[in-house]
Amino acid sequence: MNARTLLKNLSMPLALVAIWLFFALKEPAFLAPRNLSQLMVDFSIIGTLALGMFLILLTGQIDLSVGSGVGLIGGIAAVLTVQYGWPAPAGLAAAFLVALLLWALMGTLIVKERMPSFIITLAGLLIFKGLFWRVIHSSTVSVKGVEENLYSMISTYYLPAVTGAGLAVAVVLLVAVVQWRARAARIAHGLPAFSAQRAALRFVLMGAAVFGVVAGFNQSRGLPMTFLILTATAAAVYFLTQHTPFGRYLYAIGGNEEAAVLSGINVNRVLIGAYVLMGAATAVTGFMQTSYQGSSSTTVGDLMELDAIAACVIGGTALKGGRGTVWGVLFGALIMTSLLNGMNLMGVTPEMKYIARGTVLALAVWLDVRLGRT
Amino acid sequence: MSVPLLEVHGLTKRFPGVTALSNVNFTLARGEIHALCGENGAGKSTLIKLLGGIYPHGSYEGELRVDGKTAAFHRIRDAEHAGIAVITQEFALVDELSVAENIFLGRAPCRGFCVDWLEMQKRAVALLKDFGLALPPETPVRELGIGQKQLLEIVRAMDKKSRVLVLDEPTAALTEQEVEVLLGHLRRLRAQGTTCIYISHKLDEVFAIADRITILRDGASITTLATRDATVPLVIKHMVGREITDLFPRKAGASAGPPLADVLSVRRLSVAPAHGKPAFLRDISFDLRAGEVLGFGGLMGAGRTELLMHLFGAWGHRLGGEVMLRGQPHPHPSPGESIRRGLVLASEDRRRYGLILAQEIGFNLSLSSLREFTRAGGRLDLPAEQVRNQHFFGALRVKAPGQHTRAGTLSGGNQQKVVLGKALMTGPSVVLLDEPTRGIDVGAKLEVYELINRLTAEGRAVILVSSELPELMGMSDRVIMLHEGAVGGEFARADFTQEKLLAAAMGHAHAA
Repeated sequence: MNARTLLKNLSMPLALVAIWLFFALKEPAFLAPRNLSQLMVDFSIIGTLALGMFLILLTGQIDLSVGSGVGLIGGIAAVLTVQYGWPAPAGLAAAFLVALLLWALMGTLIVKERMPSFIITLAGLLIFKGLFWRVIHSSTVSVKGVEENLYSMISTYYLPAVTGAGLAVAVVLLVAVVQWRARAARIAHGLPAFSAQRAALRFVLMGAAVFGVVAGFNQSRGLPMTFLILTATAAAVYFLTQHTPFGRYLYAIGGNEEAAVLSGINVNRVLIGAYVLMGAATAVTGFMQTSYQGSSSTTVGDLMELDAIAACVIGGTALKGGRGTVWGVLFGALIMTSLLNGMNLMGVTPEMKYIARGTVLALAVWLDVRLGRT
Repeated sequence: MSVPLLEVHGLTKRFPGVTALSNVNFTLARGEIHALCGENGAGKSTLIKLLGGIYPHGSYEGELRVDGKTAAFHRIRDAEHAGIAVITQEFALVDELSVAENIFLGRAPCRGFCVDWLEMQKRAVALLKDFGLALPPETPVRELGIGQKQLLEIVRAMDKKSRVLVLDEPTAALTEQEVEVLLGHLRRLRAQGTTCIYISHKLDEVFAIADRITILRDGASITTLATRDATVPLVIKHMVGREITDLFPRKAGASAGPPLADVLSVRRLSVAPAHGKPAFLRDISFDLRAGEVLGFGGLMGAGRTELLMHLFGAWGHRLGGEVMLRGQPHPHPSPGESIRRGLVLASEDRRRYGLILAQEIGFNLSLSSLREFTRAGGRLDLPAEQVRNQHFFGALRVKAPGQHTRAGTLSGGNQQKVVLGKALMTGPSVVLLDEPTRGIDVGAKLEVYELINRLTAEGRAVILVSSELPELMGMSDRVIMLHEGAVGGEFARADFTQEKLLAAAMGHAHAA
């Protein structure tokens, strides 16, 4: 590995460390367990949306409608649960279904009618916003009726410390089994594999990371439900992109759509599939964000599409498609949320926050272009 | 002896992990046409990029001298000022602009701040006339054929008062007539004192036009020969470093033996470019037998590529006729369905239609065959895939550090091998090859030919589309010439002559 690729691979972790150091020095409360726990909830919400956006960007398409979608889907679930008195699981499921249908429709218009995704999803941004305000009558709809329900608990439930630790053990064992089996399969096929020592070292490091994170959360209120949702989403997107034909096709379409068609890939079906998954991620993000705010009101989801796109781009996803990783997206989302959180703590004014976010986005793309060439 | 126009001395250019040029020496005399020959990856493209200022001074070792003085080109414009114009295979033309605007791109005649359109048109007409191009200067470039675009690039270079024209594979996509026209212009320019570096894989052209030939191999300059002292076998021997005795290794009657079943039957096929358009392919019928190579020839625009693309399910709206693939109707397939039924296409434009250049070789090899590695739950069996990729990587002798190398970094011949590997991994019974040797070197061509022979020996059927008659005749068991979207004539191997095939391609099957 030469200096340039090393710099490129380390640029994100280094940027994150620099941001954290900066805020920690300026505002010691930044590193307080309670603030970090809060930061991780923000991260989970943006990260989940960004993971959906990642699938779309990989194909070289874009989706500008997800911010409005977050508001709309969260609003539908709130209205069904609180105003119509549906059980929360039913309200959430119905809203989720609506999201899948809306995004299937957008995907179909994009591929079948050959309309640019930029325009269709821009129309979606406006239409969903309008629908959203109609659904909640431009007022404020609480997600909690008389008592806590599944919807309100999405953002208020924290795993007890013991359960969290138990879960960590389960995850570590699961990952170890998966990795061990992958290594055994490589050896069985006569392919080079990690040595046993190296595999063991990886296992120890991974275990330390998982337990470290859980222990950190247990310093405050425990593992937040939103973080579990992010983890599950990230694992699903990782599996999808790295271990299924669908994921390969996303990269192939983004890399060269004409060649993808002639390689026998059903490009239309893959693209519609990607939009449906984006709809699912939007719905889940909508539930988390609305629950987090406590109620559905007209500003929920505003500009979240840009945060999601920014997280992907900061994380090295190419806007023209065909390049990007799940790890990068998670890093990008964490960088974005750390900046927002730190600036909030420091009492930065809203106008300066916009300027700072825009600057970071431009900087990330500039770095990517500079380091990415040749 | 006068000072050479251009001299290259001890040129070495390294890329991370590869030495593209090592100690190259090369002299260009005034007013000569000097051919550069070498296999893909021999360093020709790198050399001309250095001459054209694309790789700036300082990024290489060695010396570049123009008129005996050391030249340091930091950008393309520096090379242009020295009178060197490089015309690459990817044209530097803007499709949406007119012919005149392209000629004067970046240096339009101006009056004050305004472009002087009248002056531009006048000058363009005069320039075009020199080249016998009867084009209205306001024609959008996108409406031009490849041959005309090539000439337009030369027109532009000449208007910039270039002394050295560097042409990289100028005839790769031209028909034989267009090649003749181009060579005629080059001879005229030479008579007027222009010097030319001519890169081509087509040795007959090289011998027809070049005064001297410099041969590169593995990044080194092997020798420079005067054309009159050289022979084709000698040049090939220097290029590959060994002797190739048989240019087309297919033996007559290679498909002899018991007649095998038809794997593909096409009856009275008519196809339009799109719904509601008139027919482009008209009334085409033929049969393809297992173990056979059926060649398709014809002029540019005769419909060869369209026919293959339609059979594969990637082009056109069928108006009538029937296609039977292995005894089953093949009505309106998608490429995916065609692949599953055992029919696969390797496209002529590998960078555009063949490869995901940003991805690894392995990613590309298995892209059409992922179904084969999909296990329960939609999971890919990555180790099994990697083993299979490694097998094809090795069997096709792709020259690269490994299957994790990016496809975009490979030379043309190696990219072509990856495209073929992707097609073959699907286990096809019918392989459609569209110009499989375009722009690749002699050694790689031979490997493609041997691969075709292996495929037919395994009982697969091959359709070979080629613009080069010697290749078509050398490798096919039968040839069908297309003429304006219809069959112009069908020939058995015993009846192959260039005259007959050409006559059929031009619609005079019975005149010959």
